Amino acid sequence: MSRIKALFTSFIRGILNSYAQVFFSNHSLFAVFLILVSFFDIYAGITGLMSVIISNTAAYLIGFNRTFIRRGYYGFNSLLVGLGLGIFYQPSVELWLLVFFTSLLTLLLSVMLEGVIGKYYLPYLSVPFLLGIWMVMLASRRFEALDISERGIYMFNDMYALGGLNLVKVYDWFTRLALPDSLEVYFRSLGAILFQYHLFAGMLIALGLIIYSRIAFVLSLAGYYLAYMFFHLFGGDFTTLNYSYIGFNFILTSIAVGGYFIIPSRYSYLWVALLTPLTIIVIISAGTLFSIFQLSIYSLPFNVIVLLFLYILRFRERNLGSPQLVVVQHFSPERNLYSHLNYSGRFNPALPVNLSLPVFGEWKVTQGHRGEHTHQHDWQHAWDLEIVDEEGHAYSRSGKEPEDFYAYGKPVVAPADGWVEQIQDGIDDNAVGEINTVQNWGNTIVIRHTDSLFTKLSHLRKGSFKVKEGEQIKKGALLAQCGNSGRSPVPHVHFQVQNEPYIGAPTLEYPLSHIVHHAEDRQWLVAWDVPVKNDLISNIDRHKVLENAFHFVPGQSLLMNVSEQGSPMRQEMLVVKVDSLNNQYIECERFGARAFFRNEDNVFYFTGYSGSRRSVLYYFFLAHFKVVKGFYCNMSIEDPIPVDLFHNRVLLFFQDLVAPFFIFISSMYTLSYTRIQDQLSSPVITLNAACEARTLKSSSGHMDFETRIDEKGIKEFRVIRKNRVMEVTCI
Amino acid sequence: MEKQRYERPILKKLEMGMPGKFGVAANLPPTTHIDGISVDSLVETYGSPVFILSEKTIRSVFKRAKKAFTTRYPKVQFAWSYKTNYLNAVCRIYHQEGSWAEVVSGFEYDKAIANGVQGQHIIFNGPDKSAIYLEKAIRNDSILHIDHLDELYTIIELTEKLAKKPKVAIRVNMDTGIQPMWDRFGFNYENGQAWDALNKIMHSGKLDLVGLHTHIGTFIMSPQAYGVAAQKLADLAIGIRQKYNHTIKYIDMGGGFASANTLKGFYYPGSDTNPTFDDYAEAITSALLNTQFTPDNLPLLILETGRALIDEAGYLLGTVIANKRLSTGKRTTIVDIGINLLFTSFWYEHKLTPARHYSQYTEATTVYGPLCMNIDVIRENVNLPLLNKGDHFVIHHVGAYNMTQWMQFITLRPKIVLIDQDGTAHVIRENETMDNVMNMEHLPAHLK
Repeated sequence: MSRIKALFTSFIRGILNSYAQVFFSNHSLFAVFLILVSFFDIYAGITGLMSVIISNTAAYLIGFNRTFIRRGYYGFNSLLVGLGLGIFYQPSVELWLLVFFTSLLTLLLSVMLEGVIGKYYLPYLSVPFLLGIWMVMLASRRFEALDISERGIYMFNDMYALGGLNLVKVYDWFTRLALPDSLEVYFRSLGAILFQYHLFAGMLIALGLIIYSRIAFVLSLAGYYLAYMFFHLFGGDFTTLNYSYIGFNFILTSIAVGGYFIIPSRYSYLWVALLTPLTIIVIISAGTLFSIFQLSIYSLPFNVIVLLFLYILRFRERNLGSPQLVVVQHFSPERNLYSHLNYSGRFNPALPVNLSLPVFGEWKVTQGHRGEHTHQHDWQHAWDLEIVDEEGHAYSRSGKEPEDFYAYGKPVVAPADGWVEQIQDGIDDNAVGEINTVQNWGNTIVIRHTDSLFTKLSHLRKGSFKVKEGEQIKKGALLAQCGNSGRSPVPHVHFQVQNEPYIGAPTLEYPLSHIVHHAEDRQWLVAWDVPVKNDLISNIDRHKVLENAFHFVPGQSLLMNVSEQGSPMRQEMLVVKVDSLNNQYIECERFGARAFFRNEDNVFYFTGYSGSRRSVLYYFFLAHFKVVKGFYCNMSIEDPIPVDLFHNRVLLFFQDLVAPFFIFISSMYTLSYTRIQDQLSSPVITLNAACEARTLKSSSGHMDFETRIDEKGIKEFRVIRKNRVMEVTCI
Repeated sequence: MEKQRYERPILKKLEMGMPGKFGVAANLPPTTHIDGISVDSLVETYGSPVFILSEKTIRSVFKRAKKAFTTRYPKVQFAWSYKTNYLNAVCRIYHQEGSWAEVVSGFEYDKAIANGVQGQHIIFNGPDKSAIYLEKAIRNDSILHIDHLDELYTIIELTEKLAKKPKVAIRVNMDTGIQPMWDRFGFNYENGQAWDALNKIMHSGKLDLVGLHTHIGTFIMSPQAYGVAAQKLADLAIGIRQKYNHTIKYIDMGGGFASANTLKGFYYPGSDTNPTFDDYAEAITSALLNTQFTPDNLPLLILETGRALIDEAGYLLGTVIANKRLSTGKRTTIVDIGINLLFTSFWYEHKLTPARHYSQYTEATTVYGPLCMNIDVIRENVNLPLLNKGDHFVIHHVGAYNMTQWMQFITLRPKIVLIDQDGTAHVIRENETMDNVMNMEHLPAHLK
């Protein structure tokens, strides 16, 4: 039974998304608007819906990817073909039969294109629709049984048929509104996407567009008006826009380039401005060409320009961030943008291995990247590490012997798990001040972390190696001791990352995952850090209790007892899950909410949240947004929360409008390590978190959290919000 | 122009032949100032004798020690050995630097609590822990280092009453290759006593075995002994994990590191020859890192070093009372510091420097204290410049034990002054007065 129910839900979702996909969306309300608009012409609405159902069902029966069906990927092209046919021809059994086969054809074309151009990372957009409708249009001229429909030409007739005299009056009132010509054409162009050439349709779609995405709405206006101005400038014939309202090409191009396939930014807008004239050229030239066959070009210009642009972007070698391609598609320009800001600000997804410092305790960087002595040219990305005392000296006594240096003889450990690739030993330590330029790396070990990521530690002490070549080693395992061999005037550890397994290979710029920085009276944490000269740094010392508390295993369930202001409210069951793309998340089934997380060596983070905020999961997510698994009393961590996850929606609406250019709201998460009790037997750790929303730097609301964690895991947490206290106990 | 000081004439045997590599002159550099304050003014303000402690030295030595360990081992914790010097000001400096407290009596336990140390950060050592204090410590979640089976039984009894699972460790003694072997604290490793105690603890099910402790001796001149000890404790910890699947949270190496003092009978000065923190740290940490502990399961390393941390920061300032000659013709100097204040002169050749410049002439001298006791000898034989009555001098490296083991005997005990990091002096313990001593006495009526 539940299987049928699930299938039905998927089916409905597939239909809704097939409509929303026309505008690159998966927004249900927007889809409802679009369905409504398509049914302005009842027969066209029916044929449209029919083709979606036919396509999706066929795709399911043939056995295509169910996620893609559910997302509407296979439905939206057929939908457009269906709508087109419904508008052109009078309803008849023959037409419906034709719709059936055309939908099938469009589906097959979609899948074929997915395979053919998909391997160039290109979307098929509405190319299947174009191919489908052109073929049908050319072919159906021979089908005598089909009658050309006159609907869509005589607007008032249509309105009368749909809603009687009243609707005609309302429509008439609307048409008398002193809308500027350009705006009127804008609405008509929007409507034209669904083959509805009247104001109503356009207005309703515009409204849906705002609800779905403010950025997309702004982009639609921007693309349209850029084209409008271009026409004016060149004295072009605006009727070209007007005729069959081909202006939607600008709108769709603008949304696709400005915010859907590209992260919305000033660069994406710049490209919208650059591509709009190109679209015009394509419109006019293609229009001329296609008129020979008496075919409309429909969305051909949009397809040509967007595919061209997406294709050429892949050939960039530099400036990959301007503009930045969307990597994980969230089906909304806003979410693409905020998620991108979240990821680029908080994580470094390109790093396959988390590196720590290869030493114990606090060390000083005495030569950083692009250093003044030896870290140059091919070997510029390296660190030299020494130990210094409070006065900043690296040695005690006279400093004339290597043994006088604090660093000398100190353990050197593995910066990450791996295998010992190569060891070079047997080189004597230099006297202080002297260098060995012949065997310049000195005693060295190269560790293989992945097949293309190696670390190299040099100037080690002769005969101090505790591991052998080929041996598998764990992070933190003792490798050797710091020495003074090679080109090393004073004892220090040389640490570098490289792509090749050889001693002497060029260095690679690669940050350390999370390290603690020390200054006289405070310490702080830096993520993805490339420490610079004179930094005093150490590794995070992980605490078992924190490690255990944030070690969530798929299948694990967390039962939460929620009480507010002291009175028990409800129980919620949260379940840890993992999807096929290895995204781990905690789910609250009752509210359909998901909090995505990542668990790395030293740090636990939540990466995103979707679904209702009424679930206790939302507070759980905010309270533990980022937790470093070492306990450093009084140290605090800050991390920006994606603005769309913490701010109120009204403010967010205005933020969305200008988001590609200017972010004026922000929210910051701060975690403080408050207390640790009973450190040795059954420790209890108290963490205090605060989330603060800021509008133009001034605070516009905040929440406080307090979590208590013991050996068994997270014990309880409290949410304090405008004097209301919510207490959650984890059972 | 200042009047030239009178120095008494001396007769000195002329050494013929090759001069020594140090030449003939033996200029003893004077100690005129401590942390920027002149010795003369300290004596003038606070009297003579007086103990001076340097906060700057305390902190910098601590940092040096900590660095020696933390750069070799990821998890290190120091616990300040109260008995070494339990002046509140001193303890609080160490606690500020992050040290826990290591106490060996109820009195010290209360002192640690009074100094604001959290119960969970107090290690309760020593052979004598009364049931009352055991109970207190258990309630405070302090760590009990069990010294003998009788204590173990008392603790097990207490758990029934308190319904708490006390955190305990056992003290282990062992042969680390040095003499004398300290086998009076805790349970022996070699003869199986330690395993016996561990089995009893684990089978009782009432105690939380969190650590293993050893105290191999004092003023250990051979760091390798610590390596041996660490190795043996690690073996026990790994054995416990294998046998009971129980993880030992820490290994406590106790104290016993040598300070820069020179032991009697040693020819070279201790400051040049005694092992440094780095030597001890190297021995202990490399022993631990080379055991079967995996990198992410290394136990916490606790150190209860006392002497080596504080000795250097303590000075004892005194004044010459008189010079006289013994029947043998040996020159002696009588000073106002006796063994009642400088207990450690029984085993150290304390470094003694004058507080002002003198000519290069020195004379072999015996330094006696002011007590009317034959044993009151500060230095048997030391080459001193020609000190006069009333001259001031400084005895170095007296920070450990002297301010706790001193006694009120014949004279009253002097002030203790701490010079803070800005060079300001603070009296941290007043001198004893007649009233202090008399107030504790009661006179039976018939003697009034």
